[in-house]
Amino acid sequence: MGQARTWQAMRFHARAGEKLKDVVLQGALRKARPLFVAKRRKGLDSLAEDGLEFEMLRSAAKNIKNRILADLDVWLAIFEERAMAAGAEVLWARDGAEAARLVVEIAQREGVTKATKSKSMLSEEADLNAALAAAGIRPVETDLGEYIVQLAGEKPSHIIAPAVHKTIGEVEALFAKEHGRPIETRTSADIPDLAREARAVLRQHFLSAEMGISGANFLIAETGSAALVTNEGNGRMVTTLPRVHVVITGIEKLVPTLEDFATLMRLLPRSATGQAISNYVSLLTGTKRAGDRDGPEKTVFILVDNGRSKLLGSDYEAMLRCIRCGACMNHCPVYFSLGGHAYGWVYPGPMGSVLTPLLTGLDNALDLPHASTGCNQCGVVCPVDIPLPDLMHRLREEQVVRRLRPRSERLALKAWGWLAARPALYRWLARRAARYLNWLADGQGRIRVFGLLPEWTAARDLPVSSARTFHELYKARKRA
Amino acid sequence: MRLALYVTCLVDLMRPSVGFAALRLLEATGAEVVVPEGQTCCGQPAWSAGDRPLAVELARKAIAELEAYDAVVIPSGSCADQIRNVYPRLLADDSDWGPRARALAGRTHELTDFLSAVAQLPAMPADFAGTVTYHDSCKGLRGLSIKDQPRELLARVRGLTLKEMADCEECCGFGGAFSIKFGAVSTQIVDRKCDAIAAAGADTVVGGDLGCLLNIEGRLRRRGDETTRVLHIAEVLAGEGES
Repeated sequence: MGQARTWQAMRFHARAGEKLKDVVLQGALRKARPLFVAKRRKGLDSLAEDGLEFEMLRSAAKNIKNRILADLDVWLAIFEERAMAAGAEVLWARDGAEAARLVVEIAQREGVTKATKSKSMLSEEADLNAALAAAGIRPVETDLGEYIVQLAGEKPSHIIAPAVHKTIGEVEALFAKEHGRPIETRTSADIPDLAREARAVLRQHFLSAEMGISGANFLIAETGSAALVTNEGNGRMVTTLPRVHVVITGIEKLVPTLEDFATLMRLLPRSATGQAISNYVSLLTGTKRAGDRDGPEKTVFILVDNGRSKLLGSDYEAMLRCIRCGACMNHCPVYFSLGGHAYGWVYPGPMGSVLTPLLTGLDNALDLPHASTGCNQCGVVCPVDIPLPDLMHRLREEQVVRRLRPRSERLALKAWGWLAARPALYRWLARRAARYLNWLADGQGRIRVFGLLPEWTAARDLPVSSARTFHELYKARKRA
Repeated sequence: MRLALYVTCLVDLMRPSVGFAALRLLEATGAEVVVPEGQTCCGQPAWSAGDRPLAVELARKAIAELEAYDAVVIPSGSCADQIRNVYPRLLADDSDWGPRARALAGRTHELTDFLSAVAQLPAMPADFAGTVTYHDSCKGLRGLSIKDQPRELLARVRGLTLKEMADCEECCGFGGAFSIKFGAVSTQIVDRKCDAIAAAGADTVVGGDLGCLLNIEGRLRRRGDETTRVLHIAEVLAGEGES
């Protein structure tokens, strides 16, 4: 968490303004949103074919994660023991910086010059690519979206669709430049061609990298395995071809058993992409055994805390249930107005609005818990039933208690609250306000510019219908 | 039955006709309707801003004013959600106020819920000539399961045709203080709502929460839509919105 990133999360409001004016971005978002929503809908509908029901599964999933979180230390010890028994090494990192340092050390010890990477948001928390590059090791992102984002020198804007903010035209221009070929006109029908082009480039990297770095969608305590859920097959290349495989993931990714993993797998792909199951599901246990045709000679798990353990037993523990499906952002009206970069740190959307202040500090992201209309679409679709609006609300309360809100807001709230507790005075003032608003309104009952609500009237009229309040009129009517 | 009508601070100040429409509908059920004198605001702005002590203070005030009635009816899903779902949580650990909050929550109803699930309107007080599209407000929909109730009531209005808009359950971008703090983001969201309304081809947008309606109407007008009417469901049902 460098200063620069911290600063970005603080600037949500200003950044939001820039994103709203970005015509290309807005076009990309407008296209993507209905697809995400429709795919999940279809995915959930397909549960019925297996005689399953979303609410039932979601409560089971919630229980699995709660069970892990209640005794996380014990489960982690079990995982460590089983993973080591299978031949893997297990390392622990207190924060992102330590995780990055451990990866670099392993790479240096193993004489690695190039590392292929499968998608990992934790590596973004750790700013791993920068750390590797600084040590002279070339990180190559191999998830198509991550590859695009890396070529463009950007950060992922979505946790499962990192390049959702980019249009086909932008990707074409980027590939032409980076792959040294003339630019062509492309439509969405050409996406497979672009994927093939990236694949040809990536193939060389897969075959030459000495180290593969992946995340883990789940860690399974029972077997000491990492589970990887992917669609492009790059995850398999990254985790089986190079000599060394490093798994870098958060300590909350643990589930007790394979059976539990199967339950969560009913929900993860459906919530994310609407698939009943992803194209690839890999269970990675230990190292290459005698007789195996492929697999790493060395497997290292780096289990990262980075602020997670302090959420255990807190009001925010539910956030640790998150399985990173992206459904909350896919259904969020705010996310799809801005894209993920507006959120300023690794995680965007509702889960990011909760996680960013929790992991980077409340005062580093003052706007984020307020960057929600409270519509609760996120809470409704969450496959592990995280009450996201409640958690954002709890963060708002903490901001108030710690006096982190702007003075003007605190004073306005205080004055309004004082009035609302004094009905006679409140009524008198409401009557004055009604007359004032009516006086401000034009002949059609609209206020076009209102100094007290500048952001409101910048793009909307304020409709005014009466110079008298309800209570005033009601009293008059009763007297009559 | 002795009912309290809680008109909400927004209706009081911005559109009294909604309060009178609700009054007329409730009286048509045969109940005795009282408008408690001291009511101001349910405290949702304080709660939403994270000011718990103030939200608690205003919750207690409202409970004390409203708990003597057989039922409390509110022409807003948002304020009804505050009393039904938030008050009991705010006061959960209070041995005196906790039970009182829970008791009041159980007797508090959003208007359309009350009119279709608790009391019955023997006849619709008014006709309505036109096509209507209904916007589901978030708190009513996801907090109180208000979905079929308004549609059942609208279906009983003579002359009214309901034309659903795409994504009618999608937020309008109001979000209380959200539309003031993040006006430009809110505008982006309400624009999608306005597009959906335009595409539905109805001549009137109806909803159950004045906040959403002011937001939608304000944006429609600024976009140059001078004809689509924006009405609270109480106004449609009671005929108060006829001009």
